[in-house]
Amino acid sequence: MDPERTPSFREQFALLFDAHFPSLYRYLNRASGDPELAADVAQETFVKLYQRGSVPDTPGAWLISVAMNLFRNAASTRSRRLRLMTPARGESVLADPPPAPDQALESDDSRKRVRLALDGMPERDRSLLLLRAEGYSYREIALALELNETSVGVFLARARRAFREIYEESSDAS
Amino acid sequence: MHLDEERLQRLLHRELSAPLEGAAREHVAACDECRRRLEDATREEANVHALLRAVDTPPPVVSAGAVASRAELPSRASRRGSSWLRRAAALVAVVGIAGVAYALPGSPVRRWVHDVVQRVGGRPGVPGEPSTRGGGAANVSGIAVSPGQSLTIIFARDAAQGVGNGGEIRVSLTSGADVQVRAPGGAATFTTKGDFILIGVRDPSAEFDVRIPRSAPWVEIVQGDDRVFLKEGVRITTSGARGLVRGYVLPLAPTTSPPRRPGP
Ligand SMILES: [Zn+2]
Repeated sequence: MDPERTPSFREQFALLFDAHFPSLYRYLNRASGDPELAADVAQETFVKLYQRGSVPDTPGAWLISVAMNLFRNAASTRSRRLRLMTPARGESVLADPPPAPDQALESDDSRKRVRLALDGMPERDRSLLLLRAEGYSYREIALALELNETSVGVFLARARRAFREIYEESSDAS
Repeated sequence: MHLDEERLQRLLHRELSAPLEGAAREHVAACDECRRRLEDATREEANVHALLRAVDTPPPVVSAGAVASRAELPSRASRRGSSWLRRAAALVAVVGIAGVAYALPGSPVRRWVHDVVQRVGGRPGVPGEPSTRGGGAANVSGIAVSPGQSLTIIFARDAAQGVGNGGEIRVSLTSGADVQVRAPGGAATFTTKGDFILIGVRDPSAEFDVRIPRSAPWVEIVQGDDRVFLKEGVRITTSGARGLVRGYVLPLAPTTSPPRRPGP
């Protein structure tokens, strides 16, 4: 075994991990509303990258495509709930003083409405909106969602409008 | 001619080539309508992105190293090993011997432990120590896993283990649903496979916090060749002492497994 080879991929892997893990997690969590599933899938995606043994040409698009596939299969293949975690963070969240009732209601209401709007959007629009929010390029978005790259801007504008319309409807209703 | 929608969005997202962007900016500077459209789109996007943050939850703090450890689990052994482990589990059920899957010579679990602590952890300062980003909340790391029918927690010496001693494993029973193991950030690597959690100990002076649900049917803690703790239903058997306040305290004494041979 070449002792130089393994560390170099490992270093690249670590860089990619640091660069993409938080936003991949955020994307999956926003898309699913299920933090544990998002954590599982984000980790599993990087397990796949590591097992691939080399860095893909467009790592961002590769990671998001793999994550989306895993995500679709997740419900059926998950046999054991598993996650690495940060107890410190969870505890500090619990330990924080509860917000004032008004504030809590307001943020809870806003969270629910955003969730409803995301759940109510067509899947493709949701993916477009959320990927753009993570800073993915048009090229990466087009690759991941198998879209024509020349129209990504128009699709994005539509997706934003779709989100806003559902979000504002829920505001009128309440 | 006004900017079409695609070009406007691309201007907003910096997706135009330099000459096209220059031309688009020139047009926007001269055209009130397109300037208004660009401002509207910018504002709309900022608003939507701000709204999205309402559903965010903090990401789990996971290191690249921990994910690499999981990825390095021998896939052949795990595929073939599943039937092996089933047989071992059946043996446990029939004979009542615990830890068979781990203790049997040639056990794939043993090989797995060896591989993880030797190869993955075998480099001090390996990239992917638990991240310190995210407001310094990463000073604790850990793992949570549902206990299933049986669970073995293995403490093993990581090849990158530092000096020190006096570490402890504190075991407590909880009303939660998951077995949780926590340690100060960087003190250990956490890996899991099937019915096993592997803790690769790097700081032998660290305190490890193991929380086991009272409802877990069967959980053991293994160090080297010794089982130091067993929970079978409500019955606890341990070589450790009762904690002052609650639970049990065990001295941390991870060994490599199989024993490391001295180099030539
Ligand atoms: Zn114009």
